[in-house]
Amino acid sequence: MELMTSDLLQNTFMCELCGLSTPYTYYGQKPPNTRAIVLLEECFVTKDPFSPDKERFLVLGSKCSLCGSNACIGSDCSLFYTTRFCMRCVNKHLDQFPTQIQSELMKKKQPSNPAVP
Amino acid sequence: MDRDQRRDRGGDWDWDHPQCRAQLDQIFFRQQDYIQAGSPEHRDFWTFFERFQRFRTRRDVRGPGPGSSGETPGGGGTRGQRDLGLPKEYDARYRINMSVCTGDVEERLGSRPPGSGSSGSRPPGSGSRGPGPEQIADCRLAYLHFLDFTQRQSFGKLARLRRDQKNLPIHQYRDRIVDLVRRHPVVLVAGDTGCGKSTQVPQYLLASGLSCIACTQPRRIACISLAKRVSFESLNQYGSQVGYQIRFETTRTAATKLSFLTEGLLLRQIQQDPGLDQYQVLIVDEVHERHLHCDFLLGVLRPLLARRPALRLVLMSATINIKLFSSYFASAPVLQVPGRLFPIQVIYQPIPPEEQASRLEKLDPRPYLRVLQGIDRRYPPEERGDLLLFLSGVAEISTIQEACQVYATHTQRWIILPLHSTLSLAQQDKVFDISPPGVRKCIISTNIAETSVTIDGVRFVVDSGKVKEMSFDPKAKMQRLQEFWISRASAEQRKGRAGRTGPGVCYRLYAESDYDAFAPYPVPEIHRVALDSLVLQMKSMGVGDPRSFVFIDPPPAASIQTAMTYLREQGALDRHGELTSVGSLLAQLPVDVVIGKMLVLGSVFNVVEPVLTVAAALSVQSPFLRSAQHNPDCATARQPLHSNQGDPFTLLNTFNAWVKVKGERGGGSRKWCRRRGLEEQRLYEMVNLRRQFKELLKSHGLLEAAPPPAGERGQRRERLTERRKLHQLKREHDLTEGSRRKVLRLGEEGEGGSDSGSDAESTDRRTKDKDRPGQSTDIQEVKFKLRHNVSELQEAALASQDLSSRQQSILKLVLCRGLYPQLALPDEHNATRKDSEQVFHTRSKQGVVIHPTSVFASDPEVLRVPEDEVRELGNAPPPSLTRHQLLSFVTLLETNKPYLSNCVRVPALQALLLVANSVDSNADCSRLVIDGWLELELREPDGALKVLSSALSLRADWERLLLARLGQCQNQGQGLGRGPGQGLGQDQGQGASGAGVSRKEMDKLSEGLVRFLLYTEVSYSLRRLTAFQTQNLYVGPQAETEPPQNPLFPGVEAKPDPIKGGLRVSAFFTYNCLADARDLYSECLRTFWTCPTCDLYMPFTPLERMQHEAACRRPGELQDAAAAAAAAEGSKAARSLAAPSLTRVYHCDVCDEDLTLSSTEILKHKRQHMASLK
Repeated sequence: MELMTSDLLQNTFMCELCGLSTPYTYYGQKPPNTRAIVLLEECFVTKDPFSPDKERFLVLGSKCSLCGSNACIGSDCSLFYTTRFCMRCVNKHLDQFPTQIQSELMKKKQPSNPAVP
Repeated sequence: MDRDQRRDRGGDWDWDHPQCRAQLDQIFFRQQDYIQAGSPEHRDFWTFFERFQRFRTRRDVRGPGPGSSGETPGGGGTRGQRDLGLPKEYDARYRINMSVCTGDVEERLGSRPPGSGSSGSRPPGSGSRGPGPEQIADCRLAYLHFLDFTQRQSFGKLARLRRDQKNLPIHQYRDRIVDLVRRHPVVLVAGDTGCGKSTQVPQYLLASGLSCIACTQPRRIACISLAKRVSFESLNQYGSQVGYQIRFETTRTAATKLSFLTEGLLLRQIQQDPGLDQYQVLIVDEVHERHLHCDFLLGVLRPLLARRPALRLVLMSATINIKLFSSYFASAPVLQVPGRLFPIQVIYQPIPPEEQASRLEKLDPRPYLRVLQGIDRRYPPEERGDLLLFLSGVAEISTIQEACQVYATHTQRWIILPLHSTLSLAQQDKVFDISPPGVRKCIISTNIAETSVTIDGVRFVVDSGKVKEMSFDPKAKMQRLQEFWISRASAEQRKGRAGRTGPGVCYRLYAESDYDAFAPYPVPEIHRVALDSLVLQMKSMGVGDPRSFVFIDPPPAASIQTAMTYLREQGALDRHGELTSVGSLLAQLPVDVVIGKMLVLGSVFNVVEPVLTVAAALSVQSPFLRSAQHNPDCATARQPLHSNQGDPFTLLNTFNAWVKVKGERGGGSRKWCRRRGLEEQRLYEMVNLRRQFKELLKSHGLLEAAPPPAGERGQRRERLTERRKLHQLKREHDLTEGSRRKVLRLGEEGEGGSDSGSDAESTDRRTKDKDRPGQSTDIQEVKFKLRHNVSELQEAALASQDLSSRQQSILKLVLCRGLYPQLALPDEHNATRKDSEQVFHTRSKQGVVIHPTSVFASDPEVLRVPEDEVRELGNAPPPSLTRHQLLSFVTLLETNKPYLSNCVRVPALQALLLVANSVDSNADCSRLVIDGWLELELREPDGALKVLSSALSLRADWERLLLARLGQCQNQGQGLGRGPGQGLGQDQGQGASGAGVSRKEMDKLSEGLVRFLLYTEVSYSLRRLTAFQTQNLYVGPQAETEPPQNPLFPGVEAKPDPIKGGLRVSAFFTYNCLADARDLYSECLRTFWTCPTCDLYMPFTPLERMQHEAACRRPGELQDAAAAAAAAEGSKAARSLAAPSLTRVYHCDVCDEDLTLSSTEILKHKRQHMASLK
């Protein structure tokens, strides 16, 4: 664990869609201290800086299962539906997604300027 | 209804029943799981669960969502697209990228036959079954959604953080900054408020691979908040890469790569590590503020850069006076970053002459009210935006506040809030609360809101253009708080406060021509304050002659000279301007020279504990809130804390009482403080400072290190567990801190309004605070417990609680000697004056008064000589009495009057003889002049001689023990292998260390001092010398003086004083130098006297008698003295301090022989000749 933090700290995850960039401490499906929890995809993970508990993990993003680009988990950049899709790929294959997701995305697009505080 | 439905779903399963939940906790939230039962997150989960279930129920009732009815997405790639193979049926579960494996546990549970579950206590209503697969599935699903929800929540915060960082103006200069720092030793980053330089530049450097970065701040509070902010932004909040170091706490560890620290602390580090090898990059922030320490730091760093070419220095400032800094560092490259300010409209509204207050009048509120009215007229109340009003001082604030309050009550559109540093922290904190809709805050502030405190949401600024600034008058040795016009830079800074969150308006209550006439920048601190501590520090750092040090903006030479003289007077520098051993110790204490002296002196006697407390108390702001002074309840509650010995004693009592309450009631001390109008924060500061002092004294060998606490193992473990719990509390607090802002109520402002009634109001406010979740932990209490051992403190408090009168008098003496020459004499006509009009005089300033906060302002009686002693009032002008008193004081500050604060009363004659630098006498010692300004006339020459001679020997002993003590600690310091250049008085007092200072000797000395202080009964008059008397004070050098026979103290050569005349007997005492018409011959007159020690009876001259007394010891003491003398052998300093060596060579003219005799023997010998002559 100690070794991991110092070794991998230099690694930086960068979302290829929004440009968010932040160091990650783990890449894979079983971040440390997650016990019974397993990730269903290989993720870039860091320690949750907003939790009082040191051992909480935070998934930053993963690779799009179609194009392989790094995408953060922000809803503007990617979507997880059994596997990860970056928004570019989602839009390309929109018709294959369930209607719930389609209408959700439509709704989000309508207000031309999304809530950016 | 909800409940019923849910029960239906689970059959006889009740989700709300704790036992049902506990069974599920057994599967998902065991001790070894990611989330444990009982943790806050576990509570959050069940709250989430309820909401989640409700949501599902609602959806079930409504039926499946729109559009999902049987429609399959266009499965099988239409238009030749790739088939993604997505499931046909939508399920929200597919959107979660996690899974929870609890198979093992379920298996165990599942293997149990139904009904054989818990046998004893069956969950009522749940039958005998444990959770069925359905319940487990429900719970798992909720758990997954909960995890997903928390992930998104945290990620949302992270994304917002990164977006905000990117939007900062400085962001686009990121690469340029890193590049400049790589290529140049010094870089100046100049950017205005809000550009983000303080938080971002350190991060850019850190990210570029640099480490060991120190970033200095002028204020402690900024160090903490920046470290928190930066470690938060770098997502490393609980790692240790980013830390801070301030006076009492450090979060720095070996892993720390970036630490925020105060300028003063970095300077102290340079003292230990002159090359600052521990750092690669130094960032000096806010250099434009021109604080004393900052100016000095830059002066120290300049030559250091030449010695360490690899070191990088980054200066950060507002866009003020950039050229000055750049050129000081050989035209260092400058990077200017625009600030992020919205446009601000400036309106000049000069105050018409008829509304301008003259010097002594109260401020006229009309110009200020007009601004409020104008805002009400021009801007609809729905448009938010608060008002910030800058005034010069506290009195001005309350005047304007009163007037505005009337207007606010009338219009119901304003909440008036004062802001200045003497308010309680809770009251200060209120300015950050939010006003209700339709109501604006009007914050009336000193210049504290110019830089130190930043309030968001301000749209209007009113600038009076005035500021009160402290200056130092070296002639009167007095600080002065005066009102000045501000500088253009300050005016701009004030204006900028209106444009932080949107476009704003700045009303300047002066003309544009006034503005143009303002000085461009504020006067740097180094030009305004006493430089004593600075010069001392320079000396101790060995930066050479302070007069030739290259400052960025050198202070006047006279200021430095004054400081050097003062330090010499204080014994910190010797005649050649070099550091003495006392001086080098004082230089390491982060306090005023006078306070430092107290600490050193106190450690010699057994009054260390109270001295530590008093020194700490005098180094922080007073815990007594001014606003509570007029509150009768507070006054009554405070009464038992008061001591009529003086304010430091009141502070001591207060601290001890507080520690007692802390020990008994812990967090209950908050209430205790509120009752008494005390700001608890100051007491916390005191306890921290006190501990620091104690450690410093220990590390210098001035205090024996206490044996490690021999607690039982169980006890220790208990303490360890408690500490762990406290740490957890602290972490939780750190996270929730500042996240909640209260909404103010209309009319609530009344509590700070006038100076009364504030207590009751704030009480109910606090109780409300307590009800708020997350506010219930008193974080100060937690930190206090983490840092201090309460029982140890209580012992210390107990030790100084009930001081005997002897301890009290020693403590007074220690304070008085520490504070010397800060002494004030009551005016002789005070008895005929009102209590509020008592007048005092110091040596350099006449007609000063006692500050109303002092105990002597409310109780001046105790300063007067007792009535029964005034025997012959109206007779000779200066009455001759035994109980004259003086005030020893900490500060002399002139505001509208010169005020003395923090005073202690001391017996005049005794204190003067023991602490004064110069005591001059006439021939029979019946007339003494102290420091050239106080004259004492003693009625009985016999008593006079006795007093003087005891004082001389006591001082000699005191001096000797003190130096021996310091010598001891110095050797210890060297033994610890401190670096060279420590410069602890190289050639002084080293020899004394061998002998050390025995407890016995010290006890004897303190016994002697106590006797002297308490039981000296001599009748004398006390008055100031007139200017004329001062001119003709001394006989002056005599043409033919008899050779210095019979020196009083062997080792000290008594020689004629070249200026005053007479005989210089010791460093401070000059005999027979006063021009005295009365007694031309008393110098050689012998009177019969019996020595109380050896019973010798014979005629003596005054000088002979003193000499005899100095050397005469009781037979039993002889050995001690001899041992001490032997110990002092080889030590120049100790010898020069009158270690009595008993015999010396005496040449008798009559016998014409050299004899080795003790002083007494010499006298006897001479007497023989005299007798034979008759």
